[in-house]
Amino acid sequence: MRTEDVLATLSMVRQYKLDVRTVTMGVDLAPCASPDATVLCGRIRERLIQYAGRLRAVCREVESRYGIPIVNRRIAVSPIGRVAAGLNTEGLLAVARTLDEVAAEVEVDLVGGFTALVQKGWTDGDRRLIAALPEVLSTTERVCSSVNVGTTAAGINMDAIAALGRILKDTAERTKDHDGFGCAKLVIFGNAPNDNPFMAGAFHGMGETDCVINIGVSGPGVVKAAVENLVANASTKPTLGDIAEEIKSTAFRVTRVGELIGRDVAARLDVAFGIVDLSLAPTPQVGDSVGEILQAMGVARIGAPGSTAALALLNDAVKKGGSFASSSVGGLSGAFVAVSEDAALARAVEAGDLTLAKLEAMTAVCSVGLDMIAVPGDTDAETLSALIADEVAIGVINHKTTAVRVIPVPGKSAGDRAVFGGLFGEMQILPIHAAGGSTDFVRHGGRIPAPLSSLRN
Amino acid sequence: MISVTAADRVGIVYSVTGALLDLGGNVLELSQTVMRGYFTIILEAGFSEPRTTREISEAIRERGKRFDLRVEVIKVQNGRSEPPPTQGERFILTVLGDDGPGIVHGIAGSLAAHGVNIIDLHARVDGSRFSLVMEALIPHDLTPASIRSELERYGRAHKLEAFVMHENIFAATTEPSPVRLGAPLGPRSQGESLAH
Repeated sequence: MRTEDVLATLSMVRQYKLDVRTVTMGVDLAPCASPDATVLCGRIRERLIQYAGRLRAVCREVESRYGIPIVNRRIAVSPIGRVAAGLNTEGLLAVARTLDEVAAEVEVDLVGGFTALVQKGWTDGDRRLIAALPEVLSTTERVCSSVNVGTTAAGINMDAIAALGRILKDTAERTKDHDGFGCAKLVIFGNAPNDNPFMAGAFHGMGETDCVINIGVSGPGVVKAAVENLVANASTKPTLGDIAEEIKSTAFRVTRVGELIGRDVAARLDVAFGIVDLSLAPTPQVGDSVGEILQAMGVARIGAPGSTAALALLNDAVKKGGSFASSSVGGLSGAFVAVSEDAALARAVEAGDLTLAKLEAMTAVCSVGLDMIAVPGDTDAETLSALIADEVAIGVINHKTTAVRVIPVPGKSAGDRAVFGGLFGEMQILPIHAAGGSTDFVRHGGRIPAPLSSLRN
Repeated sequence: MISVTAADRVGIVYSVTGALLDLGGNVLELSQTVMRGYFTIILEAGFSEPRTTREISEAIRERGKRFDLRVEVIKVQNGRSEPPPTQGERFILTVLGDDGPGIVHGIAGSLAAHGVNIIDLHARVDGSRFSLVMEALIPHDLTPASIRSELERYGRAHKLEAFVMHENIFAATTEPSPVRLGAPLGPRSQGESLAH
């Protein structure tokens, strides 16, 4: 090992805050199923404590061994829409409360999987789960929810999307004291991955084993620092190819650290290691922003022409470096453009440079979609549904995951400030142009058929 | 065990190993470096016939006359030096900051007090900037955090930054081979990893 390599890795850890964003334990809850809510909740509690009871202690041990911080610990469970299919609304609420309590008990900050997969059709149980979301998201602290409303194989369930527009309005209203924060815990997906470790959209999908450790790698700060260093110190101005190479090699290192930590945590808990998710997940801290990476690449005003190309370069280079580093790459694995959580993106909104239309275009080349976007509180449910449909269509047609996490902020209008706090950040509310112009389209309902997979232009 | 030092020139390793070969010797392990223009080699050799330390020393010196070699030869009993090496996990310790007398001594003292065995160390001063990278075995009954806080305390008192990180982090981020969890000493000899 060369001294230069030691110092290069060390500077990533110390100066650029290399960390592991999340250790997410996926737990299959299918064995807990029971038509009796009390029995089901008891079994869920027992099973989660069996697997996750030592998660905190083990993460501490591994942090101490390697000197790499693990920022968040989380649990993702099987879609509750399946596990609790036979329960009535009261039963579903009891399950949500159980998840919330156990999450607090085992000291994880969030638990994902209050989820329904309704891409082709929905069962009575799925309908009840979706109807219960406003209550769940407004009365629990740690429970996160997701609904998969479309896949490339099945098409798009517009009935579910129409319902979710109303659910968002209701959830926002019930959490109006916190700028509609309940909606920040609900992700509406197209092509949802089964092994995503990032919240709020994590759930333990079909085809997974009993218990698995998935890892979300370090945030954008490390990549930003690498690009800035290259640009500042190169003897000649680096080309975009040079920048891509730099991002690739940084992503390699970041991914390797994630895999090392994940494998050690899994080994100590005697459970399977799943995947490393390469997603660059921003936080509101300065220096931990995907937007700042684009700025380091020379896009001074995020949202200006060139933003989408720069983001495409970033996303692709991260994937290339990460997939060379590990054969266990999965989840979402792309750069997040979560607006309120990303200080540079939030500033670009405030400056008027970044619009909803540009964000939608940018999501065609990265993950995860229209994420953490505050919109006016008086936006009608059908417009929210149409916004969801647009974004899901991008994913379904392009064989990729897209998602929507929008927050209609009650009592506030475009240009007002929405404050969610903590990791969820804050932003100026974005206007939706031509709102109300697609009501009839949404009200048709039914299913947008699965796309053709040939003639791909 | 043979150590040879000299001002660095091309051909010293060729000369030293040639002298050993002439005596029927076989190199078992060797480590060589050049530091600030000065050549140092330490090696262990076995011989098919009994040889005295004086005989070996003179043969090396004679064959390398033009290099003005300083040679020391120690006979190792039963092929191994004693005492047995400390067992533990490999960590990379890094210290960076302003230079001053006694830094290596102070750090080595802190580590020795905890039973931490230094197995490879490189330190240098560039201008007034001091840097030290060492590979050390931290005994299994010690937590890395305790060594980390001990060194950090020393660092704060002497305006230095000190870091303790598991070697697997560096292996994972610099080598394309699969990520490994354990770092048993196994067949790998001590002192090997910083040398290549």
